[in-house]
Amino acid sequence: MKKFRNRVWICAVALLLAMGNTAHAQAGSAAADLKAATAAAPTATQMSQGDPGGTLTGTINDVPVSNAKAGVTVGDVANQVGQNKIAINFVWTLVTGFLVMFMQAGFAMVEAGLCRVKNANHTYMMNFTVYACGLFAYWLIGFAIQMGGAAGNGNLGGLATLAPEHMITLFGTHWGLWGTQGMFLSGHTYDVGVMVIFLFEMVFMDTALTIVTGAAAERWKFLTFCVSSVLMGAFTYPLFGNWAWGGGWLSALGSNLGLGHGYCDFAGSGVVHAVGGLTALAVALIIGPRIGKFNKDGSSNAIIGHDISAVLVGCFILAFGWFGFNPGSTLGASAAGNLRIGTIAVDTMLAGCTGTFGAILYMWIFKGKPDAGMGANGLLAGLVAITAPSGFVNTVSAAIIGFIAGVLVCISVAFIENKLKVDDPVGAVSVHGTCGLWGVLSVGLFADGKSNYGGAWNGVTGSVTGLFYGDASQLVAQLVGIVTLIGFVFTFSFVLNWILDITMGQRVSAESEVAGLDLPEMGQLGYPEFVFKPEPAFMTMAEEGAVA
Amino acid sequence: MAANKSQGRSFGLFLGGLTATCAGIAAFSSGMGKAALVIGLVVLAASFFTFIKLKPLEGKIALGSQPALMKLVGAVVTAGGWLLTLFGLHLTTSVGARMVIALVGLAISLVGMIGILPAACNKNAIWKA
Repeated sequence: MKKFRNRVWICAVALLLAMGNTAHAQAGSAAADLKAATAAAPTATQMSQGDPGGTLTGTINDVPVSNAKAGVTVGDVANQVGQNKIAINFVWTLVTGFLVMFMQAGFAMVEAGLCRVKNANHTYMMNFTVYACGLFAYWLIGFAIQMGGAAGNGNLGGLATLAPEHMITLFGTHWGLWGTQGMFLSGHTYDVGVMVIFLFEMVFMDTALTIVTGAAAERWKFLTFCVSSVLMGAFTYPLFGNWAWGGGWLSALGSNLGLGHGYCDFAGSGVVHAVGGLTALAVALIIGPRIGKFNKDGSSNAIIGHDISAVLVGCFILAFGWFGFNPGSTLGASAAGNLRIGTIAVDTMLAGCTGTFGAILYMWIFKGKPDAGMGANGLLAGLVAITAPSGFVNTVSAAIIGFIAGVLVCISVAFIENKLKVDDPVGAVSVHGTCGLWGVLSVGLFADGKSNYGGAWNGVTGSVTGLFYGDASQLVAQLVGIVTLIGFVFTFSFVLNWILDITMGQRVSAESEVAGLDLPEMGQLGYPEFVFKPEPAFMTMAEEGAVA
Repeated sequence: MAANKSQGRSFGLFLGGLTATCAGIAAFSSGMGKAALVIGLVVLAASFFTFIKLKPLEGKIALGSQPALMKLVGAVVTAGGWLLTLFGLHLTTSVGARMVIALVGLAISLVGMIGILPAACNKNAIWKA
């Protein structure tokens, strides 16, 4: 027995020695490789001749060295690899954020084009000013509420300073309500990774804010619009954004209650579009319809926009920007399953395509003409609907989701106008509200369980899987998200804007409305050299119909 | 009344007040932070006071009065569906039952949002007159 033990010991020691030698040999080999690469690297003389073929630039010479005497080490190379991963993700996230920022131009063109020429300056100015209002409010406090507890994103270097999340304990589980770090981006949040996520999240927030201006166009008092937008950027949007994306309670429905992977909204059908669309409905309800929109018997009059070319070009700008919106929401292009960006981009363009077909075919078949305005809204509807599921579905599902959205937007526009008697000049409530909610729901139906961003989503291991692929609990999580959007976000927006209506008034005077808001509210006509065509009588019966 | 200097001043006051309030919250642990919070809240209140003063100057608007109680009921019902769903999720661990609870909550919220509130806001609509 003793002999056997001795043999075991001898074998173990021999094995360790052998492993040590192998490791030493590997390290030695790596060092030798680095030395050889250094020796083979282009010399200063070669570099001074220029590099027209691009074969000399970007070699071991460009790896920063921590110790000049030792030359390039394995540690230097590893550090450079880490730096490159984060750099790729930073650049990806920033560039896609810039694309989303440019969507503001598309929104401005679509909304102004769908409004009358007498309100062009006012509508453009709302879309312009909302950028400043939202950005300022988000910098002050909105970002802290939304992302101030969202530490742990490996794509952007960890974002360790964004913690902790403010939590409450209910029924024995912890529920995140809002973040606590990041006001003014000062203190520990003066950090390169935090700046990147701030920019990206900020442009998303501004997209939500600019949706509201469309539904309230042609009658919204500019002062109240400014205050309302600041408050939305500071509180309404960030609260729901935290619950869904900032480590809040909706994202924890999976880990806390076993509901799939919690509320899943890849790029914001709910967080951005439904929040914007439902707030738009709240404001449109409070502010009332434009003069002349409805007749005594409740039937509605079409109030035609002034520039369909601006609408269609604006839509293409938006579709272009959407390639920032959805693929950018991976927050990186390197590591953690981020190579799925190609699928996400194709899903996005396909849903926009089928959304266009859905709306055009619906209008052509049921109304007789392939209506340009509704075609534009169909494209946007498809894009809005695919925003939440774009990271989790295949191309066939994306096409189905987009087509349904295209049809849905036509039905919704008619329902909101004819049944609810709500005046939404650009169809913002239908495009962003209705189709945003449809997008959230579609994750719970169509997610195919094939996309796995680093092994887990919302802290639950595995891939997001919808009802059609075997997980009914994901659909419940999505329904909870939808109820929250309607029950909390809409109600909160309604009450907030109701208070503003009581204190400062939401609507311009009837006199200004009839004259057009460009001169009374902005002091300058959008198109000063145009000769305005007189409007029909029903659109100018302001004084007798108006009440104080 | 259209946009004018008073409106511009009141909005400037609002932005200043909000900035000071946020600075106060961010630095609440310090004495300066507490002072900024108090000043910010006072300036915010002042801005809303000017908003209220400016409102009647707007003149006649093309909007009928909306019954406040009905609007309040609509808002409560809309929020009620959400709260029902939140608490209902904890009553059972069955996926089917939770789905039913979520759908019931959704239906209640929808009644508030697209049933009661549009009716309230259109009750005295001027186009009906």
